[in-house]
Amino acid sequence: MNGPVRLSFGRTRSVCPECLKTIPAERVAIGDTVYLDKTCPEHGRVVTPVWRGLRSYDIWSRSRRNTASPVTVATVVAEGCPRDCGLCADHRQQSCCVLIDVTSRCDLVCPVCFASADRHGVDMPIDEIATTLDALRAGSGQVHVQLSGGEPTVRDDLPEIVALVRAKGFDFVQLNTNGIRIGREPNYLAALADAGLDCVFLQFDGVSDAVYRRLRGRDLFAAKRLAIESARAAGIGVVLVPTLVPGVNTDEIGAIVDFAKGEMPTVRAVHFQPVSYFGRCPEAPHDEDRITLPEVMQALIEHSQGTIRLEDFSPGSAENPFCSFSGRFTVDPSGLFVADPEPVSGGCCGSAAGEAAAEGSCCGTASGRSPEVARAQRYVAGQWKSALSDETPASGLEAFDAFLERQGRRLSLSAMAFQDAWTLDLDRLRQCYIHVAKSDGRAIPFCAYNLTDLDGRSLYREPST
Amino acid sequence: MSGLSAEVPDLVCARCDKPLEMRKVEASYLGQTFPVELPCCPSCGFVYVSEELASGRMLKVEQALEDK
Repeated sequence: MNGPVRLSFGRTRSVCPECLKTIPAERVAIGDTVYLDKTCPEHGRVVTPVWRGLRSYDIWSRSRRNTASPVTVATVVAEGCPRDCGLCADHRQQSCCVLIDVTSRCDLVCPVCFASADRHGVDMPIDEIATTLDALRAGSGQVHVQLSGGEPTVRDDLPEIVALVRAKGFDFVQLNTNGIRIGREPNYLAALADAGLDCVFLQFDGVSDAVYRRLRGRDLFAAKRLAIESARAAGIGVVLVPTLVPGVNTDEIGAIVDFAKGEMPTVRAVHFQPVSYFGRCPEAPHDEDRITLPEVMQALIEHSQGTIRLEDFSPGSAENPFCSFSGRFTVDPSGLFVADPEPVSGGCCGSAAGEAAAEGSCCGTASGRSPEVARAQRYVAGQWKSALSDETPASGLEAFDAFLERQGRRLSLSAMAFQDAWTLDLDRLRQCYIHVAKSDGRAIPFCAYNLTDLDGRSLYREPST
Repeated sequence: MSGLSAEVPDLVCARCDKPLEMRKVEASYLGQTFPVELPCCPSCGFVYVSEELASGRMLKVEQALEDK
């Protein structure tokens, strides 16, 4: 790292990948890449690329930081971030989407897995799920619930679980799945839909079986098609979720988007997740094993034949900006993208009054909920749910039908960069709004929950067996 | 009876006691305007929105606008 000019973009804190001790870190730019540079007194220096593209880094760094205090503080600040999660008083955002791991069993044994799940895990008893939902509702209010695992569809009682989530008053339920069972058993997905499921968050790594063999250990493309077919029949919206691994499927980013276009309106969005190295990973990753958010944006831009520009993507507005990007597009009759951005909120309540609003007090919703988190939830609910209209055409009401039809021609392209022990920036973690619910009432930020050291040891996640 | 067709439904204005007629009206919500045809009272201008319409496609349009 000697020689080239180093630009400092500020100091933060991170952890040592070997011992997970919290250590100082610095964001530094060398050439066009921003690195996280940190040194553990015991285990030495680690420098990891986190953002390849200074032009977008500049735009993302100037975006508004919307923060809020947790609705409920569940844990005491003792050891410091990231060891007191629950949420603690030092957290700077509320829960938006909360995962419940309903099982640690899985019907795949992927070489890459956040959860290190396998076939011999355990199911969370349904009364414990009920307790978890009650605690979540009391502590966090109206959040989106994602049923996750493990593979949730190994459970025969999943429709009852979806109904339970609804009965507890949650407005939006999504299922994180590999799609195998819902493709094979359309009636199972129909039962989930009847129980109140809104969205299938479908693991979808590419459009060739070679990708699935590398990442998931077997041919799965036909199974993914069947899963989408079942969703179409059940009237459930699908979000394609590719885990991007350099050298495995990064050259299929454009093909995945083309596939998504062809499956609209059932497919509502593509949500890319650059690989992060926690859970089941064979060895310490090299720089070339990582793809960063601007590289995903660049691949989308290059594939779009000039119809997508960097300006069409926005940083996350409730989460830390560097955790995500998103863009919304309408597909015109010739199949080309036309940017269809969300209206800019302009901060608090979409008015200039926001400039004077204090942190976390903007508009003061009755429940103390962050307006930015609420806005993010509305966007997801609107874009990820099915846009299929079952209305029969009616004379005189064409204006309504044209508007609804236009919803079905919208596709969202987004990505979220999860942080591992190498890339973890505690400033980002403190703004995390994707949490994992525990039955004792804690809500653990996703990247803290999944954080593992070089030997796979976790701060929060229990072993799956 | 159907509030969704172009034919004049068999409805009478409760206030004016006149049969409703299909007329072009503008439905507006959250800044968006939709020119549609709905049963109206020719006398007082009362617009009738059937329960089927209100809880069907009109609700879908409203929700889509709210989700923006």
